[in-house]
Amino acid sequence: MAFKLDYFARETMVSLRRNLVMTLAGILTVAVSLFLFGGVVLLSRMVDHGTARWKEGVELEVFFVPTATQQQIDDVQQELKDSPNVKKFRFISKKEALDLFKRFFADQPELVEAVDPDTLPPSFRVVPKDPELTETIAVQFRGRPGVDEVLTAQEQVRRMLHAISWIRRLFFAISGVLLLSSFFLIVNTIRLATYARRREIQIMKLVGATNWFIRIPFMLEGLVQGAAGAGLAFGAVYVLQQILSDLVVRSEGVFRSFFITTGDAVGIGLWVLVIGGVVGVAGSAIGLRRFLDV
Amino acid sequence: MITLEHVTKTYKSDVVALRDVSIEIKKGEFVFLVGPSGSGKSTFLRLLLREDLPDTGRILVAGRDVARLSTWKVPYLRRNMGTVFQDFKLLPGKTVYENVAFALEVIGRPRHVIESQVPQILELVGLAEKSQRFDYELSGGEQQRVSIARAFVNRPLILLADEPTGNLDPATAEGIMRLLDRINRTGTTVVMATHDEGIVNTMRRRVVELDRGLVVRDQARGVYGLPA
Ligand SMILES: Nc1ncnc2c1ncn2[C@@H]1O[C@H](COP(=O)(O)OP(=O)(O)OP(=O)(O)O)[C@@H](O)[C@H]1O
Ligand SMILES: [Mg+2]
Repeated sequence: MAFKLDYFARETMVSLRRNLVMTLAGILTVAVSLFLFGGVVLLSRMVDHGTARWKEGVELEVFFVPTATQQQIDDVQQELKDSPNVKKFRFISKKEALDLFKRFFADQPELVEAVDPDTLPPSFRVVPKDPELTETIAVQFRGRPGVDEVLTAQEQVRRMLHAISWIRRLFFAISGVLLLSSFFLIVNTIRLATYARRREIQIMKLVGATNWFIRIPFMLEGLVQGAAGAGLAFGAVYVLQQILSDLVVRSEGVFRSFFITTGDAVGIGLWVLVIGGVVGVAGSAIGLRRFLDV
Repeated sequence: MITLEHVTKTYKSDVVALRDVSIEIKKGEFVFLVGPSGSGKSTFLRLLLREDLPDTGRILVAGRDVARLSTWKVPYLRRNMGTVFQDFKLLPGKTVYENVAFALEVIGRPRHVIESQVPQILELVGLAEKSQRFDYELSGGEQQRVSIARAFVNRPLILLADEPTGNLDPATAEGIMRLLDRINRTGTTVVMATHDEGIVNTMRRRVVELDRGLVVRDQARGVYGLPA
């Protein structure tokens, strides 16, 4: 048996090297598609964590128009103080809004550079005594002089989730298409590999090698491609997690709740490996199909 | 060893390659298949190897019903049969030794078996000194000896040869025939398709003649064509 493993390992290596360019193309597309997939799952995990937090401390935010006067702001503040429904509230000044914006888009300095601080509105963040009262408070402040809009946390979450679900779908679709193309690349690589070795295969069949014996080196070839690509994707997902975690830790307030752990990344990475392996093996199985019949 | 009962084989283009062929070949026999081009000789051999299935009729090889064998058993059927072709079918870029060892390797024979059997068989075919040569360093006759060594290294019960001397000059062909004769004397059943009149006439073995898929002659110690 050790001897046979020897044979399979050798034949697989020979074939991989013979089709080096195709092999690399296969590995890279598997890597990119699975990284996209893993990245989207990772971000979804973040959102899940973040929105779980939102559900607890339901908040609403009263945004002013950028041109709101100090008097208008003071009036609202007074009313919040007097309201029996409000537990506590905090004022977010233009400057603070800008800081939050900067932190959120820290990796896009040109965006931060371009934003005019005067267009970022000041707001009040409000915690109601009871989450049930959120709508009541919202109605109270909508349409007040200087008030632009009142967003409840649920609404914000819903909007964000809505946007994210579209982004998620888009990225899943892209990674699906890429995964499919990497699958076809592997199918094609294996087909080329069998074509390159058709004489060997013909002789193997003549002398009575079993179909499995003939197939295994090619299956391994596909598996190596899928797994190697998945390994790269695993690494990239891990790095992405580290970067995002770092961003989250350095941020404040609501963004803090969007944490992800190394465990999340590893869990996703294992899925990525499984999918990569399956794509590799399935691709080679399809690539081998025309050789299956004797 | 080999039995055909009312075997008919038609290809899709409604070409009838074999018509109602019934024949029995005993263990240890040496049989020449002769007949004009397209008469069905290669088809006959392909059916024995189960590279193709007959439309009707029964084929028994070494006690197995070839047509009804399940696919996964086909390799084991073929381990009983060595095959030799006109074009040798050696693996390029491999040495004589590697070409022969390959046949044992891919049926999972352990290394020590390979290391003892390959030199033996190379001795038998007279290529012991050339075991490290590559295919392109060999004459046609030597290449055919390698392919015979490969076919016989697993000691099959049956050796099938499709025009093994077709690419060789008469002197070299004679050497190949002596080798096949020797293999036959070890008890191996040999079935050989050929157009080589001289060989058939000197060997005086059983001759089965096909014409457009029909067996038109089956003669013990026969000759290539009946005297006019
Ligand atoms: N794969 C195939 N598909 C269709 N027709 C085929 C196929 N193989 C052989 N034939 C036809 O079957 C007939 C018998 O062919 P076969 O190869 O058995 O002849 P043969 O006696 O070996 O000829 P030759 O002496 O030229 O090798 C021929 O008419 C041939 O054209
Ligand atoms: Mg022929």
